[in-house]
Amino acid sequence: MPSHIRYGDFLREATLQEHEVSYNLLTPVPQRDASGNDLPCQAPPVALRGKDISRLLGPYVGTRLVYQLRAVLPLGLYLAIFQILVLRQPVMDAAIVILGMMAVILGLMLFMEGLRLGLMPFAEAIGDQLPRRLGLAAVLFVAFTLGVGVTFAEPAIGALQTVGALVAPERAPYLFALLNLWTTPLVLVVGGGVGLAAVAGTMRLLYSWSLKPFLYLSLLPTLALTLYCANDPHLSTVIGLAWDCGGVTTGPVTVPLVLALGIGIAASAGKGDTSLSGFGIVTLASIFPVTGVLLLGLILKLSYSQAEVMALIAANAQVSAASPASWFETTPWLEIRGGLQAILPLVLFLFMLLKGVLRHGLKDRGIVLYGLLLCQLGMIVFNLGLSYGLAKLGGQSGELLPSAFTALDGLAGTPLYPYVTGLAIALAFAFLLGFGATLAEPALNALGLTVEDLTNGAFRKSFLMYAVSTGVALGVGIGVFKVVAGVPLFWLLIPAYGAALLLTLVSDEEFVNIAWDSAGVTTGPVTVPLVLAMGVGLGGAVKANEGFGILALASIGPILTVLLSGLWVRYMSRKAELQEQVSQAEASS
Amino acid sequence: MSQTRELTVLTDVALITCIVQRGNADVIVKAAQEAGAQGATIHFGRGMGVRERLGVLGVAVNVEKEIISIVVSLEQADRVFKRMYLAGNLDTPGMGIMFMKRLEKVATYIPHDILKKLEKRG
Repeated sequence: MPSHIRYGDFLREATLQEHEVSYNLLTPVPQRDASGNDLPCQAPPVALRGKDISRLLGPYVGTRLVYQLRAVLPLGLYLAIFQILVLRQPVMDAAIVILGMMAVILGLMLFMEGLRLGLMPFAEAIGDQLPRRLGLAAVLFVAFTLGVGVTFAEPAIGALQTVGALVAPERAPYLFALLNLWTTPLVLVVGGGVGLAAVAGTMRLLYSWSLKPFLYLSLLPTLALTLYCANDPHLSTVIGLAWDCGGVTTGPVTVPLVLALGIGIAASAGKGDTSLSGFGIVTLASIFPVTGVLLLGLILKLSYSQAEVMALIAANAQVSAASPASWFETTPWLEIRGGLQAILPLVLFLFMLLKGVLRHGLKDRGIVLYGLLLCQLGMIVFNLGLSYGLAKLGGQSGELLPSAFTALDGLAGTPLYPYVTGLAIALAFAFLLGFGATLAEPALNALGLTVEDLTNGAFRKSFLMYAVSTGVALGVGIGVFKVVAGVPLFWLLIPAYGAALLLTLVSDEEFVNIAWDSAGVTTGPVTVPLVLAMGVGLGGAVKANEGFGILALASIGPILTVLLSGLWVRYMSRKAELQEQVSQAEASS
Repeated sequence: MSQTRELTVLTDVALITCIVQRGNADVIVKAAQEAGAQGATIHFGRGMGVRERLGVLGVAVNVEKEIISIVVSLEQADRVFKRMYLAGNLDTPGMGIMFMKRLEKVATYIPHDILKKLEKRG
């Protein structure tokens, strides 16, 4: 026994048992074939113990789960706590809602990972290869088709269809018909809008056009169309849906996929390096669908009278009542079918494009396949969670919210608070919901970082995040007020967009891009269904015609706040420069 | 007025390089700094090999890597090396690899007061 041990040696033995192994023993011995040539080495697969597998998968699953938990959990808790403490109502079907929320988290987790591993490599490979093999016209055609396909895959689009079932047909026949009988044309029109936006955005990237003329040219006709529809009592119900569609389209699938394609195309043309490349497509993708849906409503109005639509709805209701719903039209099969419809055609289209037209293989085929499987699985689970969790919870909150300030049938002791206090509570609830949901949206963090980089720190990340969140919060608050007070949506939309256009005129190109994109980027897969369902539930409870439009206002809110804060930043930096010049002049004199 | 510039060369230095999956570097650098490392350089890279060998489980390994370079004194080298190994969970498949190499000489800015102190002692 040695009487002295170095403390370092003791620590080494106690904490880490360090062994030395020669690497020579681990590397393969070169093999030769009969004629003496070296054979290529083939590394054998690693045999893993169960412990290794769990240690490998633990952090992989954990980080992704936490990422989604952080976005979803606070919102769900906020809604539930508000309902229990302020509205004094228990959460109905609490167990189902909780399971649904868990499905949302799990579904989003699987889907986002699948998107990263499966769909994105596809889009990038196509964006990279496309311009090398095909002419500009064909490239733009593919961009358009992809835009349409991607819209079908958007999880938030499913929310629109779920929410559509909550609209009362007798109060808003055209709206009901659009959402329930003409669902496919509706999604097609929205997809067409996104497709056109992809085309316009790619052209913009290729030729480095300014975003401003695009905004004027696309918004002015849309606003005019809105004004026209507003004067028609039947069509005015469609306005809310149309403008909400703009927010819905720019979700977690559309944005990265269309961006990957657009940037890929621009990069192979040698134009992808401007700092703002990519911005702008999202904006256009949230304006064009609005025009499309308004036009679809107009066509519907011109081809069917109100009585005919009511008859069609009644006939449809009879058919569905008479024939017991076939197995694939009941939950959960309906959601599963929806999930399959969303992903499979998109994947097939991309695959055929890559194999048939471009004749280009994919790297890591196994991993891409795994990603696509995850995408598919995630979409199905998310769809289930949407119906049972998010839509249910949002709908409940919306229905119960009016009990704060008005008497509700079947609820004793309502109104809970005097009218003004109650309304203030309801609006504050909506404001905080919008603020929290936006701040929790992962996309906003990414946008904030980009913006800070672009402006060399003049526009702080947190400043942008708060500007956007405040904008969304104001939008949601005003939206709830609009539904409760029955203010026609165009009264709010037209001045807001008018102001945004004016601000655009005087703002720098950079801020215009950031501001208009911030709206689309931040209305993500959790916020959208929650706000939509809340609006429709609220509309039903206060007997308004429809509860759409909150999302539209939540989109214009951040545009205004970011444009304004952009002007403020510019004003402050000019003032600082002036002061510097003055002090320099003083110093030199 | 010309000033003679001096070059002080550090000896007894080792370089620790640690390659881990993107996003893991910060934890490891923090552990290294707590163990006495002065600073670290991180750059991005892409790796291949282990992902293919892990088969299906390869999806859990990010091909995008962060490469940490840390210059340490020989005295602290083993200690920093071990702390980094533990902080990075490098005993898990696919987590990364690290190695250490003796450096012949290193030169950088050395604070004036420290140089003086050393001179006095020497």
